Amino acid sequence: MTGDSPSDRRGAALAALRGAVRANPLITTGGLIALLIVVVALLAPLLAPYPADAGSATHPEIALQAPSAHHLFGTDQVGRDVLSRVLYGARVSPLVALFVLVIACAVGIPLGVAAGYFGGLADEVIMRITDVFLAFPPLLLALAFATVLPASLTSLTIAISITWWPWYARLIRGQAASVAGRPYVEACRALGIQRWRILLRHVLPNSVTPLIVQVSLDFGGVILTASALSFLGLGAQDPTPDWGLMIAEGDAYFSTQWWLVTFPGLAILLTALAFNVLGDGLRDVLDPRRPLTPGKPLTSRRSLIPRRFPIPRRPPIR
Amino acid sequence: MKLRRAGLIPAVVTAVVAGASLLAACSGSESPATSQQAAGTVFTYDTTAPVMVDGWDPATEYSDGIIAMSEMYETLTRYNPATHAVSPLLATSWSSSDSAKTWTFHLRHGVYFHTGRLMTSRAAKASIERTIRLGGGASYVWGAVKTIGTPGKYTLVFHLSRPAPLALEASADYSAYIYDTKAAGGSGKLTAWLNAGHDAGTGPYTVQSWNKGQEFEVTLTKFGKYWGGWSGRHFTKVAYRVVPQDTTAAQLLRSGQVSFIEQINPSLWSSFKGDQSIRLVSSPSWQNLLAQLNTQRLGLKVRQAIAYAIDYKGILAALRGAGVAASGIVPRGLFGHFSDLPNYSHDKARAAALLKAAGYGPGRKPLDLSLTYTQGDSDEQVVATILKSDLATLNVHVNAQSLAWPTQWAKAKSSSPAGRQDIFFEYWWPDYPDPYSWFSNLLKSESQPYFNLSYYSNPSLDGMIGKVESEVATNSSAASRLYRNMQVTVLRQAPLVDLYTKNYQYAMDSGISGFRVNPAYPNVVFAYDLKP
Repeated sequence: MTGDSPSDRRGAALAALRGAVRANPLITTGGLIALLIVVVALLAPLLAPYPADAGSATHPEIALQAPSAHHLFGTDQVGRDVLSRVLYGARVSPLVALFVLVIACAVGIPLGVAAGYFGGLADEVIMRITDVFLAFPPLLLALAFATVLPASLTSLTIAISITWWPWYARLIRGQAASVAGRPYVEACRALGIQRWRILLRHVLPNSVTPLIVQVSLDFGGVILTASALSFLGLGAQDPTPDWGLMIAEGDAYFSTQWWLVTFPGLAILLTALAFNVLGDGLRDVLDPRRPLTPGKPLTSRRSLIPRRFPIPRRPPIR
Repeated sequence: MKLRRAGLIPAVVTAVVAGASLLAACSGSESPATSQQAAGTVFTYDTTAPVMVDGWDPATEYSDGIIAMSEMYETLTRYNPATHAVSPLLATSWSSSDSAKTWTFHLRHGVYFHTGRLMTSRAAKASIERTIRLGGGASYVWGAVKTIGTPGKYTLVFHLSRPAPLALEASADYSAYIYDTKAAGGSGKLTAWLNAGHDAGTGPYTVQSWNKGQEFEVTLTKFGKYWGGWSGRHFTKVAYRVVPQDTTAAQLLRSGQVSFIEQINPSLWSSFKGDQSIRLVSSPSWQNLLAQLNTQRLGLKVRQAIAYAIDYKGILAALRGAGVAASGIVPRGLFGHFSDLPNYSHDKARAAALLKAAGYGPGRKPLDLSLTYTQGDSDEQVVATILKSDLATLNVHVNAQSLAWPTQWAKAKSSSPAGRQDIFFEYWWPDYPDPYSWFSNLLKSESQPYFNLSYYSNPSLDGMIGKVESEVATNSSAASRLYRNMQVTVLRQAPLVDLYTKNYQYAMDSGISGFRVNPAYPNVVFAYDLKP
């Protein structure tokens, strides 16, 4: 066997990717923190000192107690243990982000691939619709949708998903349009392979790589957006231990009971930071324009992304 | 509400909430009022929500507008908390017939409306007759009035259809103001003229500016021809500044940019202790927080179970001094209050037994209830959370929703019963120094719900409500017995639950003297009486 077979090439690419991941401290750091958050979310019932406080339990007689040995993060305005609620909160915000991204991908990817591959009228119609959505600031649009829906985590997820998918449709559309013109796709068409098969087997797999990076970068952004909407009372409702909601409820006590907003705020910060760092690391590995290691020339990089289509960046959400 | 605190959606996002709060507090936009306050002439009243939310018409305004209107308008009499009786204001003296069906008021001489007209008995009569004709707000305080006579330039004679405590009712905090009905030039467009941000009262202050929706909402300036005169130390301007964030309000008071904070959470209020520049005022009120239970959906046993399930002491503990225990529905200090009523106490076993009898409770089918409270009110939010927790242990699941007051009220008044809530939180205070409005407004049968948001109808109670006003005027011991019986009925039937009586906690600039809480006029400071 020579090294020219497709399986060899794929194996070599994966080996290069593994090496790049190992060598990238951003991926390691971000990944470890993200893993920690996942572990906390899974083990919250075991880690939380007062699991009932993440639910409907209240203890008004110990309301607003400062951090102590009994309550490491203090208690809130109705006496609930803040640490327990922060730990359980790892089950809420990241899960919302996960659902949002899954929905956004499920809607954005098929539409983007269809627009890029078929072009013409389909492309025009789909892209103009995405343009309408992209014309609005994402947070404002999500706020508008969340306002008209009843306040709940489901509504929150739907509201953010509606604003998120157009970015993925636009991103994947460019990739798909590029792939659609490649010789191997032309060859498939010439061989009479069905369109859906070409789309699923050739266009889609070769278009999604930039999306993987974008999704990892967006994870933190979705958490921030969800927290912002919860803070405005448009997302989770008490007693759900949502970090944004906890900040909203503690806001009135901020200057005297700092622990009410500080700890959920730090949880949001840590989670958003972890996924942003992870996303940056992935981009370093997958983006041909960035050196894998300092000093190494760009031209020596093996690229998993076509150079003509650099990863577009979303404007920051503010 | 007598609403209380229409909530505002904070215009900041989570990630910057802490910083934004601090920045807003530290910077504080400079305004003409602020710079003048430095000269000691402006009294700046900090409020969490806009004040003029229910129009500017003194005949119909029935909300927080009282806070500013009490500076612009005056009534014939005013309740005096020191004497527990009404004192002269626009009327210098009054008398009634033995039957309490004819009342004669002698008006103060030399009183001018802000329009420049002299206040006479004819002007006062026109004002009261217009209020009765419009029928809004608490105009029922004139409900017994059959005719008004003006035998002299400064003499008003009321002929009533039934005995009524008119001198008491004339001191009402709503719909009892005397104003110039010809302020708009007699064009018949007085309401529109008033709602454009004008006033036509006789009070010490008149409108200088109204900036609807702005932080500096209303500024009043002194009325030079005020009958009380301006000798001595007085504030010459009163500014109302809307600051929804408690933390920002606290910073503004510390930095001297506001003179008085009307509402602040107990924790922040306590944080001022030891600060020599700030005076803390804590005073019992006649304002209570009620949970109105939807009697059309919830049976008697379920309502009683809810009343037993509530941890009243826990609520008071969480409020940290901002509330005191209630007895019946009439607050302490008001005629008709009794401390020995068969009140509910936290009794989970009894609540479970009642729920079981109704087919609900632990191990049985769950009961799902909806609760609405006013957005932006941290006290209501705390109480809602505790109530939800108390009921969850009994397999009763409460979906608590915070809504802006207009939305909350509109939902409760929905023409479709299915669209209404099961539990409605609302503050209530008396319209005049008597408990009558708790019963007439909240519990008397209504064909279309307005404030009876329990949708309660009890002909027997209606009968007692119909009698009590006259009894107050003619036979106070009989009136007292009636109020007792009415409260016992309410406690047994549980159409509403009195969660606690509010304890006013104000914070103000310690350099200001003369402030005295008057529970008959909630959150009103009467700035003319203050000394800068």
